[in-house]
Amino acid sequence: MTETIENTRTRGHSEEPLLSVRDLTVTFTRQGEKPFVAVDGVSFDVRPGQTVGLVGESGCGKSVTSLAIMGLLPQRGVRVEGEVLYGGTNLLTQSKEQMRDRRGRDLGMIFQDPLSSLNPVVPIGVQVTEVLERHKGLSRKAATPLAREMLDKVGIPDPNRRLKDYPHQLSGGMRQRALIAMALACAPKVLIADEPTTALDVTIQAQILALLKELVEDSGTALVMITHDLGVVAGLVDRINVLYAGRIVERGDRHPLFAQPRHPYTHGLLSSIPRLDGERGTKLTPIPGSVSDNLPWANACAFAPRCSQPIDVCVEKTPEFVEDGPRALRCHNPVEVSR
Amino acid sequence: MTVSDEILVDVKDVKVHFPIKRGVIFDKTIGHVYAVDGVDLQIRKGETYGLVGESGCGKSTLGRAILNLEPPTSGSVEFDGIDIAALKGEELRHKRQDIQMVFQDPMGSLDPRQTVESLLLEGMKAHGLTKDEKQAATRLRDLLKAVGLPVAALKKYPHEFSGGQRQRIGIARALSVNPKLIVADEPVSALDVSVQAQVINLLEELQDEFGLTYLVVAHDLAVVRHISDRIGVMYLGAIAEEADAEDLYTKPLHPYTRALMSAVPVPDPLIEDRRERILLQGDLPSPANPPTGCRFHTRCPWRQDTKCDTERPQLRTLQIAGVPDSHRVACHWAEQIESGEVAMHTVKASLTSQTDHTSGGDDFLGPASVQEAL
Repeated sequence: MTETIENTRTRGHSEEPLLSVRDLTVTFTRQGEKPFVAVDGVSFDVRPGQTVGLVGESGCGKSVTSLAIMGLLPQRGVRVEGEVLYGGTNLLTQSKEQMRDRRGRDLGMIFQDPLSSLNPVVPIGVQVTEVLERHKGLSRKAATPLAREMLDKVGIPDPNRRLKDYPHQLSGGMRQRALIAMALACAPKVLIADEPTTALDVTIQAQILALLKELVEDSGTALVMITHDLGVVAGLVDRINVLYAGRIVERGDRHPLFAQPRHPYTHGLLSSIPRLDGERGTKLTPIPGSVSDNLPWANACAFAPRCSQPIDVCVEKTPEFVEDGPRALRCHNPVEVSR
Repeated sequence: MTVSDEILVDVKDVKVHFPIKRGVIFDKTIGHVYAVDGVDLQIRKGETYGLVGESGCGKSTLGRAILNLEPPTSGSVEFDGIDIAALKGEELRHKRQDIQMVFQDPMGSLDPRQTVESLLLEGMKAHGLTKDEKQAATRLRDLLKAVGLPVAALKKYPHEFSGGQRQRIGIARALSVNPKLIVADEPVSALDVSVQAQVINLLEELQDEFGLTYLVVAHDLAVVRHISDRIGVMYLGAIAEEADAEDLYTKPLHPYTRALMSAVPVPDPLIEDRRERILLQGDLPSPANPPTGCRFHTRCPWRQDTKCDTERPQLRTLQIAGVPDSHRVACHWAEQIESGEVAMHTVKASLTSQTDHTSGGDDFLGPASVQEAL
């Protein structure tokens, strides 16, 4: 299994990125209130067949990033800057209609809560064929066998019957499968999964993750996995970006990042979660404080007040994002590499 | 704190069935949801008992039944020798001083229009614990100190706090009446990962300081394993396996526990790459129409042709070397599965909708043991 992942990675490196996010900044402006920068200069690349993870806690800007890429943020009250390059075009400058053409065809998305992202009054089958009708110009009749095939592919038993079912007739895991079928119906090159398993039970989560892995490996789809769960990315993602307060604070390939987290936040996250295979009776080391203690990035490191090893410069200067090959870090005083 | 042998809570054959009603003018009961269907468990003084299971397995209902927040349909819940399930009115209200609850959603369980001071005093007043103001003020200060909040918090409202702090208020409120047992229903699952550890550590410290007994209800096996002394794994209203935390982890014996353990992601790529999962097919059957015999037989990769679908297994100790008597399993074939006599086979995914049991879907063959998988 490790071998296939290594292969994908080397193959990925030789190819041009499929999706390239450059300096993406999303600012929410509200009348009479200070503008809030939710995503602050985020850049990352996704290559064909690669799985890239965006990991962070609530409010770190991971979901806003995905909505910005998909062009799903509201027009008013939001300022989106930077570039999202897909095949040479900047998606951020595309018109509403052009984006509508791309969504579902070039870029697919899976959301956290399948029940609220499926239309409750339309049968599953119609919701899947809709995508095919819209992008491939098929008639519903012609699209139905394809929809059935998709449902079968994502592991929905008895797809013929399920085509006629409404979302409420399916269980949570089946709904998420239906959503994946919809997202993959037109074989998009990039799939963005925003917390696809958070609403599901662990045994169902294992099914869905196995399915995603299989689909990505078979079709060469690039997957952007957005999650708060470090366990989920550990087995699935090639490259991980850790977000904190709207900025990427650490990036690395899966193995080195987990083996040697350099940013105190990544390090703190890993030592604060109880592990199923961990030593019992040992105390967890929590990260003190909460997100509300953050400093603004402008003249400091936002994480400084919660950091385990702050130094003077942390509250005086914004740390730069220093890239070193696949590894990148935004920290004045990184965790020492233990040997 | 050391766990004594004295049993604080003795749950005997508790059942909680919710009627399903239909009809506009006359309600007709057309069936029952068997949320909790025959659970026995004992919690010893000073220990942390973890109830774990997936959504819909009845773990929360069982937790609430122990407080008589959900009156059990049958069975008894003995707390310190008194049957709580039979208590009513004033007697029950009085007894609840000893059993408090910490809820999952701290925002939903704190009145937004009450200050922290009034939230904490409410329970104390109801149980006549505030003799004079001075003593009450000292008590409030001590409580806040115990849960790690500043004294200034007293005058604030719940919305002024972060999620982790709100959960601390919820814990302080539970502590305010000097309970013996705290039932914590998913105490950390609404919190951010970095904050979860703070609350878990706090719960452990408080247990040492006040000699509390906990019943922790949660879906996260890693969290439960971390804080519990003993763990009960629930599936569809019944306990499938019960053991000391360490035993359960090193030697899961029930097929469901094995599958559950193998499904929990571990934040370590080295382990994740080597690991093989027992992927269960399909979803949890509806508790309104549970399968006959062993409840897990519809999804069990070790299912046998005899007994499994006809006879309901009871929790029992196993005659396997190295397995202590405290480790109990509700499986007909646990010994044979452990020794390898009964091998794992393919299970076809079947639909869980209760009207049909058509099967289809892809097959899966998993590894023979979780020990290998981990």
